[in-house]
Amino acid sequence: MTDTSHMPLVPHDVGTQLFRARSHSVEVEAKPRTEVTERPRSFNPPAPKRYYFYLMAPAIAILAFISLYPFFWLIFLSLQDVDIGGGKWVGIDNYVKLFSDSRFINGWILLLKYSVICLAVQLTVGVMLAVVVNNSRYERFLVTALLMPMMMAPAVAGLLWLFLYNGTFGWYHWILQSLGILGSASILARADTAMIAVIVVDVWQWTPLITLIALAGLKRVPRDQLEANMVDGASPLRNFFSITLPNLYPVLLIAVLLRFMDNFRFIDSLLVLTGGGPGSATKILPVYLFEVAFKFFKLGRGAAIALTLLLVTIILGKILVRVFENPKSGRS
Amino acid sequence: MFHRPKNALYKRVTRRRFLELGGIGATMLGTGSLAIGLNSTIMSTRVQAASSDDAKWKQFAGSKLTFLSENTPPSFAIRDNIKAFYDLTGIEVEVLTDDLPVVQQKAGIDLRSGKSDYILNYVQDKPIGAPFADFYADLTPMFGDDALPQDPDGYGDGAWVENFLNACGRFYSKDKVIALPYDAAIPVTFYRQDLFEQHSKSFEAEYGYRMEFTKDTTWKNVLDYATFFKKLKEGGADVPYGYAQHQGSFAWTTQLDIQRLLFSHGRWTDFDIDDKLGSKEPGKTKWGDEQSVLMLEKFKALADVSHPDNLANGTLELNTVYQSGNIAMQVQYHEFAASVEDEKTSRAAGGKTAYAVCPKGEASWIKNGGESVNGTNCGIGGIGINKNASEQVQRAAYLFAIWSTSRQLQFDVLKGLGGTPTRQSVLDMPEVKEAQKRPSKMPNALTFEAAYGVGIQDPNFVLGPKIPEANEYHSLIASETQRMLSGEMSPEETAKSLQTQIDELNGA
Amino acid sequence: MASRDVVSYETPFTRIARYASIVFVVLYLVWTLLPFLVMFMSSFKDLLEAFKLPAVGDWSGIGIFFEFTPTLKHYRSLFVDNSFATYIANSLIAAGGSAVISVIFGSLAAYSLSRVDFRGKQDLFFWIISTRMAPVVAVMVPLYSIFRSLDLVGTLPGLILAYTTFNLPFAIWILKGFFDNVPFAIEEAQMVDGATRFQAFRSILPLVAPGIGAFVVLCILFAWNDFLFAAIIGSGGAKTLPVATRELVQPQNIQWGAIMAAGVVTTLPMMALGLVIRKYLVTGLTMGAVKE
Repeated sequence: MTDTSHMPLVPHDVGTQLFRARSHSVEVEAKPRTEVTERPRSFNPPAPKRYYFYLMAPAIAILAFISLYPFFWLIFLSLQDVDIGGGKWVGIDNYVKLFSDSRFINGWILLLKYSVICLAVQLTVGVMLAVVVNNSRYERFLVTALLMPMMMAPAVAGLLWLFLYNGTFGWYHWILQSLGILGSASILARADTAMIAVIVVDVWQWTPLITLIALAGLKRVPRDQLEANMVDGASPLRNFFSITLPNLYPVLLIAVLLRFMDNFRFIDSLLVLTGGGPGSATKILPVYLFEVAFKFFKLGRGAAIALTLLLVTIILGKILVRVFENPKSGRS
Repeated sequence: MFHRPKNALYKRVTRRRFLELGGIGATMLGTGSLAIGLNSTIMSTRVQAASSDDAKWKQFAGSKLTFLSENTPPSFAIRDNIKAFYDLTGIEVEVLTDDLPVVQQKAGIDLRSGKSDYILNYVQDKPIGAPFADFYADLTPMFGDDALPQDPDGYGDGAWVENFLNACGRFYSKDKVIALPYDAAIPVTFYRQDLFEQHSKSFEAEYGYRMEFTKDTTWKNVLDYATFFKKLKEGGADVPYGYAQHQGSFAWTTQLDIQRLLFSHGRWTDFDIDDKLGSKEPGKTKWGDEQSVLMLEKFKALADVSHPDNLANGTLELNTVYQSGNIAMQVQYHEFAASVEDEKTSRAAGGKTAYAVCPKGEASWIKNGGESVNGTNCGIGGIGINKNASEQVQRAAYLFAIWSTSRQLQFDVLKGLGGTPTRQSVLDMPEVKEAQKRPSKMPNALTFEAAYGVGIQDPNFVLGPKIPEANEYHSLIASETQRMLSGEMSPEETAKSLQTQIDELNGA
Repeated sequence: MASRDVVSYETPFTRIARYASIVFVVLYLVWTLLPFLVMFMSSFKDLLEAFKLPAVGDWSGIGIFFEFTPTLKHYRSLFVDNSFATYIANSLIAAGGSAVISVIFGSLAAYSLSRVDFRGKQDLFFWIISTRMAPVVAVMVPLYSIFRSLDLVGTLPGLILAYTTFNLPFAIWILKGFFDNVPFAIEEAQMVDGATRFQAFRSILPLVAPGIGAFVVLCILFAWNDFLFAAIIGSGGAKTLPVATRELVQPQNIQWGAIMAAGVVTTLPMMALGLVIRKYLVTGLTMGAVKE
């Protein structure tokens, strides 16, 4: 945004604003912020709306083809028993069966467990890191170093960690053993530690994202408040909890939602690392779905599972968009 | 379109060849060509029964086919030799190789969607053959077709190693053959002879019998050996662990491990069906009976004395652990012998490893009154032809199928990268016989006696279960037993849970 | 800490906190960067050297990590025995192609969405963004069969289109934010001067150009790092780097040296790009919700 901020007509707060609510789709009710210049609506262009629809059309058409069409196809599929040799209409049978499928239920439980633990660790470590890095003399260097893991393809990250974890020649295995944390079994070899192992990889790759987000949030913590409090003799720790954290809350909420949805979306590194094993200790729902659809070729059942996953994602997405759109949340 | 496969013609052909190609191409323009599926084209010239063999081989010159295969040495070797096939037939074949699970996915999607991107498929017996058998062309009509060249050794059961044709060629019906045996993976026992000899005395002092591996060595002996090594190792001695299993994320090989143990004891199988043909409706499973519970207990006992990484090691990783000298025994697929004997990467090379048949059933562990055998199963990869392809394409593909399973080619692969022959006539070649003794130029041949001579023969051989739900069945077996091994469930609970889930899977 | 320059005196508590935070940052840096170091070094090691470890607990033996004769053989094997040059080209074309398509159509759509209002716009917008958030595996099942029937599987155009499923909504969403910040008055002034509507649109493009540039790079990054689409939709004819790297795990032998080398080849260009667009990264990775 910094680029546009130098333009004369742009509201001056845009450049510095860290978390700006998006008011686009609610122009009608949106109270114009003090310095907002005329919106197209108030100008009421003489040209027909048609013109804009033409411009939009190609993108909408592409999207409809690659998302809407598949979506209805998915619903249609989920109502059939598509197995070897064609499909058979079964109504909601696929959904009913899911409730007695222990692997499906287990997949949801593991997915939630995996996502929640990942997030809890990432939030704690990420925010701590942001607080420490913020305004440090080496901030630029530190942030650059932190970016690195996010640039790596998750599948490659999975392979790299597989190498580090290896019980025969892995350095991390050696370090953990030397520290006495790990017994002789490698970390991927036990049901309990395998889950930790895949979480560690996610934490390694994505904690920096939380840090960056939190860092952006920290920049907009009102300094005068902090100073005033300081003068009143509040400890830095109390300051953190009473002023900094509440100010961080909206950006962190976004971070949480985004990471949550990403954990639903991506299974690349987990597939490479454990493939869901040992047993089904790390078989989170998307991995089970992958198995059902592309290993067992139960496309009907797969579609039903996919739709449950989609449903939850859409709900999360709705919440996220609401957070985006609510200017209040950005300025508590 | 942008992809330039390694074996692409334009990389390999010399300029002269290129001009010749141009000539062929020009003449072919007259006959016309037809593009079919992904990167495939078909061209043909009519031949009769009376035509020369050369004309029969050349009848589809100018065509282009794709072969989707697992990334195993035979496929690499064939890719490197693809020019020979081109010279023989004028057909260009693109060999695509992938991990077995990926091959399974791609082939499955292709076959099920009625397409023929991959004209030729690697039909791994249970994972690909069992679910997709109906999508492959029956080869029997082509076996006797005069207008096609034929292999002098033929395609009968006798032409192949015992049971191989059954394994990958026949599914649910005796009359059809959908694939020809292309490569094979037969488990045999790899063990460190040097270590066995070194510790034989102290073992005998403790257990009262010799530590050795013969065809009468039982699973109970294996358990003793593994316990012995583990105790030494944990007492601080400089020895490896005794044993480890196939676990990891490759469910099928875990299932095969359990199946061997079960079959050794009274020839137990999952279903009451013809093991070699399989069945689309296998009925109720035998999981949950006394024998299966006992075997799960023993399987767990073995796991408990195995290398601590047991649950993380898939097929490959297990072999790496053995290669690096960290276990003294593994029941492993014979195709891995070449890598174990490779001095550059393996600490178990150079005569340290001996090969024996899979362990035998322990008489006192048999509860179902059956006989005790050296239970051996297999993964036979066949080469099959996509039924969605047109008849002409199928016929062109047939040329590749019989060429890639011919005696000479299998011998070349064995000599080169370490293949796993499927034709009996290859095993009978004097050079191959010679190679079964050390020092051997073909390390895989060191396993042939154990694998082909004993293991794969009846009554030791177990093939199934060939059921349409094979993949989900493998996955269930692997994940439930791994839960048991990590202490979540008792053997009895595991057997019962398997029973319920497998019956539901098959609608029984 | 944020307040350090405000409070000039140092109590024992803040001193301890300062040292603790230094230790924390250093530890975190080691933890973040160590895997890269291992990957980088191992890619130059002969396999047996890469597998060498000191005895458990022997911290002084850690030096053997640095004892090796550097070799380029793994890199050579990628390009000579394997066709990594092709895979790099595939990755570039697929990622670049989808990025360009997404940004072209995306900016048109974003511009219009930013300038016009109509009923159901909010729903349209939500639909666009939810396309981006859908779990990859869930989308894959129907997408595959549709692409299959159009003969797009295993081709670069197919892969480009597949990447467009997540890049296009992303581009629309982010670019709309950009256009929202460009006042309509600029176009208006242009049009008063006799410019056509499209010329007016073109005239504001330079204002958003840096942002557009950065998001082309981000789209490339997302597509380049993808594994599942490439593995299933790009199978065969359009093999990209992550898939090719994964394939080095072969049944007979896991080629760790080559995998590490391939990891370096796959990761380095993206790191470089990441640095170039550093200041847009947070905005991009949070879908525009957070600005740096």
